[in-house]
Amino acid sequence: MNAPDRFELFLLGEGEKKITETVVNSIPNCSDFMLKKEDHTVGNLLAEHLKKDPQVMFAAYKIGHPNVPEVLLRVQTNGQINPREALVKVLKELVAAYGQLGREFQKELALRQYADQGEGSGSGGAI
Amino acid sequence: MDYDPMAMDDAESLGPVVKISQADSVRVKFELQNADISFANSLRRVMLGEIPTIAIDLVEIENNSSVLADEFIAHRLGLIPLNAEGVEHLLYSRDCDCEEYCEHCSVRLTLHARCTGYDNMSVSARDLVPVGERINQTLGTPIITDKDGTGSLILKLRPDQEIKLECIAKKGIAKEHAKWAPSAAIGFEYDPHNKLRHLDLWYESDPKAEWPPSEYAKWEEPPVEGEPFDFDAVPNHFYFNVETAGNLPPDGIVAEGIKVIQQKLAGLIHELTEGEGDGGYDGPRSPEYNSGPDTNYGYSTSYGGNGGNQSAWGGGGGTTPFGGQTSYGGGGWS
Repeated sequence: MNAPDRFELFLLGEGEKKITETVVNSIPNCSDFMLKKEDHTVGNLLAEHLKKDPQVMFAAYKIGHPNVPEVLLRVQTNGQINPREALVKVLKELVAAYGQLGREFQKELALRQYADQGEGSGSGGAI
Repeated sequence: MDYDPMAMDDAESLGPVVKISQADSVRVKFELQNADISFANSLRRVMLGEIPTIAIDLVEIENNSSVLADEFIAHRLGLIPLNAEGVEHLLYSRDCDCEEYCEHCSVRLTLHARCTGYDNMSVSARDLVPVGERINQTLGTPIITDKDGTGSLILKLRPDQEIKLECIAKKGIAKEHAKWAPSAAIGFEYDPHNKLRHLDLWYESDPKAEWPPSEYAKWEEPPVEGEPFDFDAVPNHFYFNVETAGNLPPDGIVAEGIKVIQQKLAGLIHELTEGEGDGGYDGPRSPEYNSGPDTNYGYSTSYGGNGGNQSAWGGGGGTTPFGGQTSYGGGGWS
């Protein structure tokens, strides 16, 4: 009845910005990033990979309410780079890593199909 | 481990490694190595919920004298898997310039059946006929995988009952409604011997006897009796089992999943580096994730393109905006 539209989970609202940075003044080199219309898929991925960065001192995310598709990501760095740079660096690494995964997958799949052709049809059902 | 230690060392510097153990038209089983659990889980989540496919979204019922209510039939129609090949060229209805729907953002299907015999008659997915202009000849066709070639059963008619309706199939993602899910199921497991103790196995008297070993148990070394618990151990091998509902091939689901998550991340990079003017990201790039009518999914995305191979991620990195720095070694990958 009064349930919000499901597409509000992933479509940005009018004038909404995907990501906004708020500098946390009480902590040095620390920023909060608010990611709108995102969930654990991105939140956990970024927080975990930021923690692996030696220049990042603190990284964590929270989703304030399960019904609200907003991720709050806090990043604190050691001062050599700012949190925004750290985040961009991690994002670029992740895009590259997923690209690598895709290439690896296609390569393996091609090998697999090549091998399967030798054995005749596999165990697969028909589509 | 039955893996070559040399190969493992090699892989360490290369990033994620994939081993496919089964690939056919219904499922693909693969092992993901050398990746973080959050990396694997994000891929799983995206494959479950965010890959665009096509499903019936609007139903106009002209005549229904069957015993089932209109909305009941409409719901059943929505759940029928439709072929999503080429769905990347279809627009989201909400992004289309048309009033409500048109051939650029939807596929029309009709169903007209009347029981003229003396026996009850089955109406199934096969009887749904795509009509009108389509982006290609397969997009929106009901998936038929059963032996009889009828597809999923929609309803049954008694003699003289009739059903006549028109459906509009639209593009969407499973986050909005599960009918758009490309995968029937995605198996995801790691640590088959529970060495990391992420699981607390319930048992009557002996967990070893009561819990059958996973099919992947033989892929990993069983724990040595009396071995101390390794507090620093993290999962590193993930076993995926991606099963399709028929609308996309299973390997296509994996490929699309990777593409969707890359687009998500690339959208964030774009937002964060916007207006910096260092030119680093002014190169060709796909429009923002979900940005609207001209979202050219794949084909000209910014991740790739220089390799000339057919995968959407392009070849060996290098000149691409994102491919340039594949040195995750420095980033502290464990």
